[in-house]
Amino acid sequence: MTPVKRLTALAAAALVGLAPADLLARPLPQVCETVNSKLVKLFGAGGFARLNNFGAGIVVSPDGHILTVANSLIDTPNLVVHLPDGRRLKAEVMVVEPELDAALLRIVLDGKKAGEPTGLDLAFYDIPAEAKRPPAAPGTTAIGFTNQFEIALRDEALTAQKGVVAAYAKLTGKLGAFDFPYKGDVYLTDAITNNPGAAGGALTDRTGNLLGVVGRELKNTQTNTFMNYAIPVGAAVDVTVKENDKEKTVRVSLPDFVTRGMKGEYRPTKRERPTAGEGGWAGIVFVPNVLARTPAYVEAVLPGSPAEKAKLQPDDLVSFVDGEPVGSITAFEEYLRTRTRPGGTIRLEVRRGGSLQPVELTLAAPPARVVVVPPPKK
Amino acid sequence: MTRLRFAALAAVAACLTVRAGGQDADEAVEKAVKAAAARVAPSVVMIQTAGGLETVAQKDKSGKVSGFVGRGTGPTTGVVVGADGYVITSSFNFANRPSDIFVTVPGKDREVAEVVGTDQSRMLTLLKVKTTGLAVPAAAPKAEVKIGQTAIALGRALDPTPTSAPGVSVGVVSAKNRLYGRAIQADAKFSPANYGGPLVALDGRVLGVIVPASPQGEGETAGFEWYDSGVGFVVPFEDVLAKLPALKDKKDGKETVLRRGLLGINPDPKVAPYAAPPVVGAVQPDSAAARAGVQVGDTIVKADGKAVPHFSALQHLLGPLYEGDAVKLTVRRDGKEVELPPAKLLGDSPAYVNAFLGVLPVRGDNTPGVAVRYVYPKSGAEAVGLKEGDRILHVQKTGDKAPTPVGNRAALAAVLRQLAPGAELAVGVKRKDGDKLETLKAKVGTVPDFIPEKLPPAVAPKEVPKDKAAALARRVGFVAAVQDDPFAPKKTDKKAETGLLERADPTTGRQHWVYVPATYDAAVPHGLLLWLHPAGAGGPRDAENMIKTFRPFCEATHTILVGPKAGEAEGWLPSEADAVVQDVNRVMSEYTIDKARVVAHGLGRGGQMAYYLGFQARDVFRGVAAVGAPLGSPPRDNVATQPLQFFVAAGGRDPELKDIEAGKAQLDAQRFPVSYRLMKDAGREYLDGPTFAEFQNWLDALDRL
Repeated sequence: MTPVKRLTALAAAALVGLAPADLLARPLPQVCETVNSKLVKLFGAGGFARLNNFGAGIVVSPDGHILTVANSLIDTPNLVVHLPDGRRLKAEVMVVEPELDAALLRIVLDGKKAGEPTGLDLAFYDIPAEAKRPPAAPGTTAIGFTNQFEIALRDEALTAQKGVVAAYAKLTGKLGAFDFPYKGDVYLTDAITNNPGAAGGALTDRTGNLLGVVGRELKNTQTNTFMNYAIPVGAAVDVTVKENDKEKTVRVSLPDFVTRGMKGEYRPTKRERPTAGEGGWAGIVFVPNVLARTPAYVEAVLPGSPAEKAKLQPDDLVSFVDGEPVGSITAFEEYLRTRTRPGGTIRLEVRRGGSLQPVELTLAAPPARVVVVPPPKK
Repeated sequence: MTRLRFAALAAVAACLTVRAGGQDADEAVEKAVKAAAARVAPSVVMIQTAGGLETVAQKDKSGKVSGFVGRGTGPTTGVVVGADGYVITSSFNFANRPSDIFVTVPGKDREVAEVVGTDQSRMLTLLKVKTTGLAVPAAAPKAEVKIGQTAIALGRALDPTPTSAPGVSVGVVSAKNRLYGRAIQADAKFSPANYGGPLVALDGRVLGVIVPASPQGEGETAGFEWYDSGVGFVVPFEDVLAKLPALKDKKDGKETVLRRGLLGINPDPKVAPYAAPPVVGAVQPDSAAARAGVQVGDTIVKADGKAVPHFSALQHLLGPLYEGDAVKLTVRRDGKEVELPPAKLLGDSPAYVNAFLGVLPVRGDNTPGVAVRYVYPKSGAEAVGLKEGDRILHVQKTGDKAPTPVGNRAALAAVLRQLAPGAELAVGVKRKDGDKLETLKAKVGTVPDFIPEKLPPAVAPKEVPKDKAAALARRVGFVAAVQDDPFAPKKTDKKAETGLLERADPTTGRQHWVYVPATYDAAVPHGLLLWLHPAGAGGPRDAENMIKTFRPFCEATHTILVGPKAGEAEGWLPSEADAVVQDVNRVMSEYTIDKARVVAHGLGRGGQMAYYLGFQARDVFRGVAAVGAPLGSPPRDNVATQPLQFFVAAGGRDPELKDIEAGKAQLDAQRFPVSYRLMKDAGREYLDGPTFAEFQNWLDALDRL
């Protein structure tokens, strides 16, 4: 092939690859316009310290179903929606799923009953379809669309902020002093999206595909900093529930919540909380727990206990349990109490001298009467 | 060019235009960012810790604890710097002093890491693991770093899986040469999510290691409050690699500690920090500067051959240096440039301690020399037999070739500033009776808590006749026979008003009153006592009370009272400091004020304001007298050129007694001269009789040397 011919061929291939024209060049301004047409502003309960009476929502059906965050904003019979065209309409809550921190609303037109077709024909995000894409990797351009600081009313555009996906990982947040109910993966972004009133906004990629629903203002317990996160459009968590006195695990997902929720068929999940005393027992006696973060050094192992069977030794430092770091004795005991059951197996990594040893332990039920054994004198 | 070829080129060009504009430019950047992150990812390790504190202290610029930072419990980040198992990270990650550290290199097993060394100047910690064959990323040379270039921050704190892609934040390089030449600034979001991680250029080379740092603070947690702000810093990776051999050099099994190198001078505050080459105002005893022969009054013109146009430039030259590094200074002394031997920088500078000879000078004395008004018991002056009425004419430090003539109080103070307690000073004295010049070898000590019960009059009853003074001056080699006291430039231009003067600022409406005793004489330096009323007081009634209390003292010791009024009934706000200092400056411009005796004095909230003002306006205040007031924020350093003395009083039943005494202890620790008086049976109230008497003598003796 001559150089000239090769060039022509390349050019032709490039042209073919770039068609059709509207896919070829959808610059960000155009993407922002499209995304804005699928989002609404919400006004509801609150209005005092840290409880904002404004937020946003994502339109998920042409008829006016809206997906938003299950925060205190929606605790009112007087929910108001501002559509992208500026119309001001009433809305009501259909169903809430705390495990996803999600709420589904629907617009109710004056003179029409709730649930009657509205004929609104709104631009919307098809949640099950959006959820089919694989999660976006760190470094992917991410754009937040929110109503932080109540900056937008009526037909005004939401605030667009461009950043990247910082991580797609488990949420380890705290809401004040309480652990956050949603335990699944989230998108974390490096744009400062989660300000007052941002909840319920959309996080999209650079082509306007929906990545997730922008969350609340939460502090990350791992880093002790406020985080900018969105619950992914494909969010799914496994939850233990009790059905007919039997425990079973069910999968709770955002697409299912929206699909069945719109049909009025969705019931919120009732998580079975582990009760105190039901956790597994290892039989480790730790050093006296006197500091805020006393390292989990083994002082002794009780005779006949799982710890003895696994050959744990005095002065071992319990460093990781099932891959999670053990920051302190308190943290380890908390893990056993809330995350394990008698008969279950845990995988420990203990520091012995200068190396980490893997140790597997099959937990037992705590002995009926705990025998207090004085720690051996050295 | 053939037509065909041209058409083909045009087509390609058209494609490129489309690709460069709009979404496809974004796509290109996105791809490049991911590729750069992926190149460095194998060198980005996860660090986990066990044990340690829940919160860690945050320190301000002077190294004092100013607050506490909650440390997360999650993993942090590090960068491989040695194939043989070396990992560098931010010292922030260990600020809670964990008992155990674990490192996971992507694709390898988690392992125990040991701390090899800490670089306190750059806030970095070097770790070592046993695994070898690690990938060390390439450094982007500092010289090639450009403001505006894309910068990608990587961290392992968000996703606990060490094999997945590291967390990403994208920004640009905001500036170079920040934090006195130690850091590159970028606007990517820096937080505990990536402290210790790398900042990477688009070509996959590492720009630097992310640290929480701020120009305002020192220590491993400084700058944390700026997290995610878009103002963040990295230590250039080139510098990190260059310092590695020193950091690895663990001696006797002890962790290496690299400290910032300190020169040990204070600039003369009269020279603006950006205007002119710095003039040395004080040299800390036994500091690097003192050992290299830097003298007070030297103008530093070059450092390591580079011109020093102003003090800030000197700070930039010294900022990157470590303990043990040497710097060659060129100074201008007596009109000549002198090249000094290299000054080997030291790692710490002990708190400055004021040297005390033990004399109280006579004020308003226009005769050369310092007339002794009072000699402190148990002082160096007393030990060598200095007496009231003696006149100090010259002094000579150990090592000086010739004695320094002492024209006045200011000249003696300048010499004492260069001495450490314990040093010897040869004092040339003309005795009260007789004409002989004697030289006494006095040992200087520290300023005592002691306050004399009775003091002789402050002002010389009769001036020495002019011709006698001139003769005296000739004998000790003074250039100018009679000098004005630089501590108290005389105001002679107008007839000064006396009595109670009530004033209000026409624009802000702020009020303050001034009391000038009827005995006012422009020839005599007057002390200035700034009274800061407690919450709820202030105004004319307050003025009346204060004048009633202080009138005899003001008349006898030549002191002017100034009483500003707080804007709020609840008491003083720090934001009022500037206005109050303005009131003081106005009085200082109108009357002959003794700059050695300007004191902020207050009760309760007013006492707290007195502390605040004392540290805020160090060029103005030489004393702070706080009654029933805890020391709000931690004290700043004791500085030789801006001395500050404290009188602290508290009632035994004051609910905040503990805090007040804790503040007093903090002042002691900073080596400020403090006189503390406990009024056993008092609550929070003004000074009782005996304490008030002592306070008056403290005020009168503030110009002790």
